[in-house]
Amino acid sequence: MNANGKLRMGVYWASSCGGCDISLLEIGDKILDLAQIADILFWPCVADFKYADVAGYLDGYLDLCFFNGGIRNSEQEQVVRLLRNKSRTLIAYGTCAADGGIPALANLYSSEEIFEASYHENPSIDNEAGVEPQPEVETAIGTLEIPRFYPAVLKLRDVVEVDYVIPGCPPQADDVWETIAALASGAVPVHAGDARIGCNNRSVCDECKREKREVKIKELHRHHEFRPEPGWCLLEQGLLCMGSATRGGCGALCPKVGMRCEGCYGPPPGATDQGASIMGALGALLDAGTEARAQEMVAEIADPTGTFYRFSLASSRLRVSSDRGGRR
Amino acid sequence: MDATELRVEPALDTQTAWEPRIVGFLCLWCSYTGADNAGTARMKYAPNVDIVKVMCSGRIDPDLILTAFAKGADGVMVLGCHVGDCHYISGNHKTMVRMPLLRRVLEDFGIEPERFRHEWVSAAEGEKFSRLVSEMTEQVRELGPLDWKARLKECTGENLGPWGGEHP
Amino acid sequence: MRYEAPEKLSEQRRNGDEPRVGVFVCHCGGNISDIVDVEKVVEQIRKRSGVACVTTHQFCCSDPGQAVIEQSIRERRLNRIVVAACSPSLHELTFRRAVARGGLNPYLFEHANIREHVSWVVDDRKEATAKAGRLIRAAVARAARLAPLEKRRIPIHPSVLVIGGGVAGLTAARDLANRGIRVRLIESTPFLGGRLAQLYKIYPTGQRARDVIGGLIREVSSNPLITVYTNAELVEARGFIGDFHTTIRLVPRGATERCTDAQAAINACPEETVDQFNLGLARRKAIYLPYKGCYPSIPAIDWRNCTRCGACLEAGGVGSIDLDEKPREIVIRSGAIVIAVGLNTYPPRYGEYGFGQFAEVITLAQMNRLLDPTGPTQGELVVNGRRIRRVGFMHCVGSLQHEGVHKPMRDGRINQYCSRVCCTTTMHTAVELKTRWPGVQVYDFHEDIRTYGRRHEGYYDKVCRQGVVFLRFDPLRPPRVGVDPKGEWPLVLRTVDRLTFGEELEVPLDLLVLATGLVARDMSKLVDLYRCSVGADRFLMEVHPKLRPVEMATFGLFLAGSVQGPMDIGESTAAAAAAASKAAALLKAGQIELDPFVAEVDTSKCSGCRICLQACPFAATDRDEAARTAKINQALCTGCGTCVASCPCNAIQQRGFRDDQVEAELLALLEAEEPVGV
Repeated sequence: MNANGKLRMGVYWASSCGGCDISLLEIGDKILDLAQIADILFWPCVADFKYADVAGYLDGYLDLCFFNGGIRNSEQEQVVRLLRNKSRTLIAYGTCAADGGIPALANLYSSEEIFEASYHENPSIDNEAGVEPQPEVETAIGTLEIPRFYPAVLKLRDVVEVDYVIPGCPPQADDVWETIAALASGAVPVHAGDARIGCNNRSVCDECKREKREVKIKELHRHHEFRPEPGWCLLEQGLLCMGSATRGGCGALCPKVGMRCEGCYGPPPGATDQGASIMGALGALLDAGTEARAQEMVAEIADPTGTFYRFSLASSRLRVSSDRGGRR
Repeated sequence: MDATELRVEPALDTQTAWEPRIVGFLCLWCSYTGADNAGTARMKYAPNVDIVKVMCSGRIDPDLILTAFAKGADGVMVLGCHVGDCHYISGNHKTMVRMPLLRRVLEDFGIEPERFRHEWVSAAEGEKFSRLVSEMTEQVRELGPLDWKARLKECTGENLGPWGGEHP
Repeated sequence: MRYEAPEKLSEQRRNGDEPRVGVFVCHCGGNISDIVDVEKVVEQIRKRSGVACVTTHQFCCSDPGQAVIEQSIRERRLNRIVVAACSPSLHELTFRRAVARGGLNPYLFEHANIREHVSWVVDDRKEATAKAGRLIRAAVARAARLAPLEKRRIPIHPSVLVIGGGVAGLTAARDLANRGIRVRLIESTPFLGGRLAQLYKIYPTGQRARDVIGGLIREVSSNPLITVYTNAELVEARGFIGDFHTTIRLVPRGATERCTDAQAAINACPEETVDQFNLGLARRKAIYLPYKGCYPSIPAIDWRNCTRCGACLEAGGVGSIDLDEKPREIVIRSGAIVIAVGLNTYPPRYGEYGFGQFAEVITLAQMNRLLDPTGPTQGELVVNGRRIRRVGFMHCVGSLQHEGVHKPMRDGRINQYCSRVCCTTTMHTAVELKTRWPGVQVYDFHEDIRTYGRRHEGYYDKVCRQGVVFLRFDPLRPPRVGVDPKGEWPLVLRTVDRLTFGEELEVPLDLLVLATGLVARDMSKLVDLYRCSVGADRFLMEVHPKLRPVEMATFGLFLAGSVQGPMDIGESTAAAAAAASKAAALLKAGQIELDPFVAEVDTSKCSGCRICLQACPFAATDRDEAARTAKINQALCTGCGTCVASCPCNAIQQRGFRDDQVEAELLALLEAEEPVGV
């Protein structure tokens, strides 16, 4: 803690979309309160902090560090190791840091395929020379290095020890502020394994007000072809809502407005593999009757892996890496 | 083909030779009893499938199968009562949905379809059981080791610093 | 006491439960040890953590073998036992008992099957030894995590509900009441007797069917312990073994006990309809008695055909008929349920062997009505106004059907099974025909004849001697029925006879009797209410065809008679008697012990998503509205574990098959292999 009694705080953005940084601002006028209780010592997204400054701190100098995004390259790995050493409490903030998030879906493809898509195939790319980023390039002023690309997106816990995990894509602002306030007040211990906070200890179903009629799914639907009945459980209506296999905390935001839960808070409490959770549940819910119908219904699902593991592939049992096997 | 014919004659280095490791999740009432049936009839089949018994194939959580692959199985078999003959009325109806679902996911993960087999074996079908086991063993033998543990190391950070992966 | 499952073995150890596993490897007198190198296995297993001792025995299941287990538990302070021997189906119970005698909870035992799954199926000694080692180490890993379990004890309500008032239901009811058990019998039609009442004479005794069923009905109706409800429909069922609550709707019968002159009331009725009791061969009034001497002897009104004109009311006398009575519902409580709803005869489709096209094509059941002197023709062999002289019997109509030859039933399936009773019934009917009308020519068209039962073959011999002509057809080219081009006979049957090596024959007939098979009734309501297992043949399914032939997978439900598949009367009553004995044994025990492998909800993990409510085949999962979580009714739970795999939050665990137990077994199996030298 600083001499002025304020927390020393850091925020970092690795392999993620940046929404998490913005979500920190979503706390609204509480940002002024934040300024009252914390000094921001590192937040590259908002000001020009240098790694060297951080490296100069004593170990454990930062009280609190919000790290969002997974680890995709060597720079991110270096920074997370650095911040781990310099932070008393390291928080994996947001689903990318917690479970890999959307970027981890790339683990289903090899590095070659990813480069092919990003630097050649992508219709918005103009790369006639066929240039790809190289880790080392000889130039007139010497050797230039860029971070090395790793074959898989890793969640934070794969690389360093994490004290807390705040899931969500992005985490909900109210919960974020409460968490900061709790940590600032010393109400919670600084280390808690990788305990999940800022979320609910039950699944999204617990927060969802839609009525369960306890009927099985006769037919599967997708949003663009189907208007769900208001007030009735979306999963029972045949939309592949991930709510039952997703940790709560969002207040069932998507189901509330008629959209199926996509699973952004990661696996529900008690489970590690979100896909296994929903596959187990769908076994009980799909009203197939015959084997042929079962196979038909399963075949209708457009992208099971992308649907069931959209946010948590890096936490799945099989995880998958890119360069060996994976989806072609 | 007789199962015994399929096996390679013991060579000097069999101590280190790779053998497929396959886990079979079997329901007690039909498939496990079917395996007993094969035993009682002294049918010979490949010794590579190790059985984990559950009361009903409906108990087989996809998580268990994923765990088996993650922890070193080269193949997984799931056997249950035929649809309509479930001791628990419709326990296997859940299996009938879960397994095709899991199969699609496993394919996306890059696990060859031959490594995962889901079949119905009744208590009387000892012959079918022994045939499936030998067939599956040969299929997996042809594919070679899955060795997911090594693959996992790459994406759990075990190899980090210095990073073991190659830059493309 | 609820056992709190430790998440990890380390946690279990902290609780002071350090596993001390005793492993007993059986030689099975060479059955195992001739192939498996037992000593090698012992050496491997002994090194594993948690293993306190490894012992071998020639026969673990023998008295001395069991004694060694008991003694070791005491002397070596063992707290988990693994026996590696034959299949658990043979001796799991034996060893559990031995473990209990040794002073341990019997569920702290794990069985490794190294005979049926190893020594009997693997030739190579090294491979067999390696596999036995893997299975045993997996059993050890699982055993270390086992928790003591208690069998569930459930009190039993001392009464039985019998569903169905045919010969099986009546037999079961009588047998139960004779043991002093309170019985409620419900019958969906207004009269007792079922299909048996429609038969004429029955094999192998040649008795009148009505005498047999009449005697049984008298025994039932006079027994004060039995209450009979006719015109009763199933409405709802709740509860479980020991305490079923079945709601039935009693449809008013119209006539009351004060109806003294039933015949006058019937005569007065102006409405006529098809007489179903006589299988459409006669007509009856809307108020009716199916036959003389039926029970109850009070007539019943067939409400679908009654116009409520009141004619019967005047003729029957004051208070004899009540046209305004409303259906009422009652709840029957019972500790067990005997299902004896019987079956149907196969309804031939229009045109099947000319059925429906020609009045001269009838079923065997209709033939029985014709032979009955109290039947529609007073026992005269007259059909369509013609005295019958040439009769053909066609076997296997609706049975032994062949894919591609026969059209499937409504559910898309064909009847591949043998209906078992039709062959002997046909022979028995032919005997009756030839005895009463020796001049009648009888032809028998069959694919196969199966007079399988005791004293059944005698009928076959007899008809052979009586001059019945047997013709065997090719099942893939069944006979065809048409009109006689000469107009002399109403029917001509064209067939290829395999007994004369493919001779093509035309047989003129004036009556063709279809030996229709037996099919399951539409039991969807019953199946739904009591969650019955249904076989691919649509009949209800027992737990095990040989070992538990009259019990259903749902505890407390017993099967009596032909609801389970084609049976003749003797077999039906035998099954009914068995069901009654099983139900009586259950009731007399006062309580029942059930396997402890039930599922339980960890409410701290449950999110209340209700997915388990749809997973359970037995409706054992329910919702605790106050806590907004799931709960499991342990009396209803059969321990399949389907809900466990369905729960997205892993909040449900199955005792004896907890995730950590199964996973420990799995991981031990997948451990790196230790090299095994020969």
